[in-house]
Amino acid sequence: MSTVLLTPRDRRIDRGIAALLAVLTLCWLLGTEGKQGIGRDEAQYMRAAERYWGWFAHLTDNIKSGHIRSSFTRSGLDTYWSDNAPDHPVVMKILYGVSWRLFHGKEAEVGRSYHPLAYELDHGTIPIFRRPTTAFRFPAMLMAGLLAALVFCLAREFLPRTPSVLAAVLAVAQPHYFFHAPLACFDAPVTTMAVAVGLCYWKALRSSRWGLITGVVFGIALGVKHNAWLMPIFLCGHYIWMHRARLMRFRLPPIPLAFVAMLVAGPLLFVAHWPWIWVSPIARTQIYVMRHLQHEHYNFEYLGRNWNLPPTEIGDQLLRATFPWVSTALTVPVTTLLLAVVGAVFLIRRRKSVSNPESTPTWKTPGRGIDRARGAYFAVQVLGPMAVLTVPSTPIFGGVKHFMPAAPYLAIVAAMGAHAAWLALSTTVVPNLAARWRRLVPSLPVAFAALLALPAVSETQRSHPDGLSHYNLIAGGFAGGATLGMNRQFWGYSVLPLLGSMAKNTPARRNVYWHDVMGDALNLYIRDGRLPPGMGNTGVGEDAIRNSDMGIIVHELHMNLYEAVFWDNYRTVQPTWVRTREGVPIVTGYKRPGAPFVDLTTP
Amino acid sequence: MDLRRSRLAVLLVAALVLLAIVESVNAITASLFAPSEKDWQAVASAVKAEFKEGDLVVAAPAWADPVMRLHMGDLLTPAIAARLDDDRFGRVWQVAQRGARTPEVRGTLAQSHRYGALTLERYDRKPAKVHFDFVAAWHRARVVRREPGRGELDCPRGTDRFACPNLGFNFVKPEILEIGHSLRQALYAQPVGGATVVIEFGEPELGSELVVAAGLHHVWFRKAGDGDVVLRVFIGGHERLVQKSDNASGWQRSRIDTADLAGTHVPVRFEITSERPFARHFGFAAEARSP
Repeated sequence: MSTVLLTPRDRRIDRGIAALLAVLTLCWLLGTEGKQGIGRDEAQYMRAAERYWGWFAHLTDNIKSGHIRSSFTRSGLDTYWSDNAPDHPVVMKILYGVSWRLFHGKEAEVGRSYHPLAYELDHGTIPIFRRPTTAFRFPAMLMAGLLAALVFCLAREFLPRTPSVLAAVLAVAQPHYFFHAPLACFDAPVTTMAVAVGLCYWKALRSSRWGLITGVVFGIALGVKHNAWLMPIFLCGHYIWMHRARLMRFRLPPIPLAFVAMLVAGPLLFVAHWPWIWVSPIARTQIYVMRHLQHEHYNFEYLGRNWNLPPTEIGDQLLRATFPWVSTALTVPVTTLLLAVVGAVFLIRRRKSVSNPESTPTWKTPGRGIDRARGAYFAVQVLGPMAVLTVPSTPIFGGVKHFMPAAPYLAIVAAMGAHAAWLALSTTVVPNLAARWRRLVPSLPVAFAALLALPAVSETQRSHPDGLSHYNLIAGGFAGGATLGMNRQFWGYSVLPLLGSMAKNTPARRNVYWHDVMGDALNLYIRDGRLPPGMGNTGVGEDAIRNSDMGIIVHELHMNLYEAVFWDNYRTVQPTWVRTREGVPIVTGYKRPGAPFVDLTTP
Repeated sequence: MDLRRSRLAVLLVAALVLLAIVESVNAITASLFAPSEKDWQAVASAVKAEFKEGDLVVAAPAWADPVMRLHMGDLLTPAIAARLDDDRFGRVWQVAQRGARTPEVRGTLAQSHRYGALTLERYDRKPAKVHFDFVAAWHRARVVRREPGRGELDCPRGTDRFACPNLGFNFVKPEILEIGHSLRQALYAQPVGGATVVIEFGEPELGSELVVAAGLHHVWFRKAGDGDVVLRVFIGGHERLVQKSDNASGWQRSRIDTADLAGTHVPVRFEITSERPFARHFGFAAEARSP
């Protein structure tokens, strides 16, 4: 696994493969996203995205009418940009808004009044998506495609072509990643940005051009999600390790151009991209930072316990510290995990490349002439995000997504393991093959890689559309995860398959309790044409159940509270619907006995 | 590569290949091993054909409970589903999958049958005789709030609760509560700072034991507060149990030996206090029984 030297022809082929991987990933996601319901937070981001688009539309009007300044006043900005602020920066939300405006097809007529802003057009500029939610999600899916391409490119720095393709497949084919990949959220996009920044930094160690690019890419990452704050810390860890010999002689290594560029371009791009910040850059940046440093611990089930506060007892802290490690062990396909272990062993055993005394590191090319310490590089990229989640005081409510930037790097290490396994095979078994089998040898690496990718792909396809509920072979799948007391889901996305039955059984009093499915998500289902309007929504909390004649429970451990209210108030324990995956309840629905119901699906 | 190392490498690769095949096959076929709608309907028909009043139906693993109730929920009242425990049930039907068992299955295995991916088993045992159910008989209680220097303030009974004076949250009522994430039919009584909430039953018939279970209701309030709630149980004026509930204690069950009082009618008093009552939503249930 030496550094791969590429000819121009190789580069062209690689670019083609990277593009193909991106397209295939996009196709896989486009072919499956429609079955995945709209998550609570995702609906908020779609709403915000449409509002942000509203600012651009208003800006265009103002330019035409010569009142451009009014778009940049405090109220002109806050009217649009205060939505979903200070929660998340806006790179992806702007893209979601633009994509919706460009690509949405004709929306359901009944959904016209469900837009966050008045909207008169029948369809977008290039109406290629039937559902508006697909149009919102499209940029996230493009980012997932980009991830596949970037993982391939990064893997090519270390591996031949076939295992590099395997790395890209293993990066996408992880059930929890795949769940997040099509969502109009930020967790999958920031995972892409983690690889983008990591790839630029790696190249920047020997190229000043890439040093400058690293700064710009990091600035964009800051605009995607706050995970980006951690990226320089991990990279510093690698950089210090790479120059450890020098440091041990009490000599400072050069401060690399990439870090200088990140320091300069990062904050500039961050402030520049977010109009909400412009009103008061320091104060609002502070509000944004504090929002995440002091984030509430939402409820999350882990190993049969509900975690919603930082643990204070030492035993609880130790148990909580296992979260990212156990979650990884139980969610990543097992073959991928084993390959990663093999890859890690080979990285550890790798001989350090010999330094070139005639080529000394400079601040522009700080990795020139020395070993770039690829083992340390992958160690910080995989273990860094997981180490942050090991700290017991960090919230874990998002589950695997909180440390998902580690996933693609884990996939590359796994591909290194696959390559090492193939090398072992090719030096032992292959030379001893009978003559009649020899003609198959050229295709064996591809077949071997395909075999190793198969479990990841089949597990991922199996998990869809309930990737959050899915656990791997070690855990025992959906059922095993439930038995172990692992989180089953969040965000209330899983109601989608029940919408038709619920619409057919709408309470005559139009009083449905939607539990964790928030109003924004319902609006989008209506705009999608997947839910008739007028079913009613009694709101949230226990009284909302008492005021309802029909309702649902999205199964999470802490949500049992609401089932108690159903039993107590409806005076029955018999649900009307239970949506399951491999026998495991995902959503349960109740109808109040004796209440009148109507069918809203027939005109 | 020497012979030993090359053998090791081949073994490792063989293990990888085998794992990949097993994992892929498992992923593709796993859904076939889950119980089907037909399996559940067959089990429901079998249970309903032989179900008798006083029987209990449980699902194993517990997470399958909603599916079990979908098919057999008509056999369970809310009070049974949210029971104190299962001692009063003489026959327990367990609908199991994947080799799971529930704690409720004790006694003699009376029948066992497989329906696809589900196994139906009936366990027979001697049921506990319930002499007095303090939750079901809530309306027969007398509730007061005892405050230092003010004596006892009577809490009059309304249609669904005892409501104590001056404090809206100071009431005692039967309700299905979420205690330690399990659902329990209990007497819902919030503690009052600097006071004692007293629930007294004049002359319940006692058996050979008094089983008391208690805990803190409501996941959000458990997050918001951190005080303990103390439940004291007095039988015939004598303190017989002091049980503390906190955020982690869940549904905590205790047994008081009342063998010497079995068959007699003796006043039973429950006293609830808390030094830090903020966001403490307490619930308890009790039954006088003879096993």
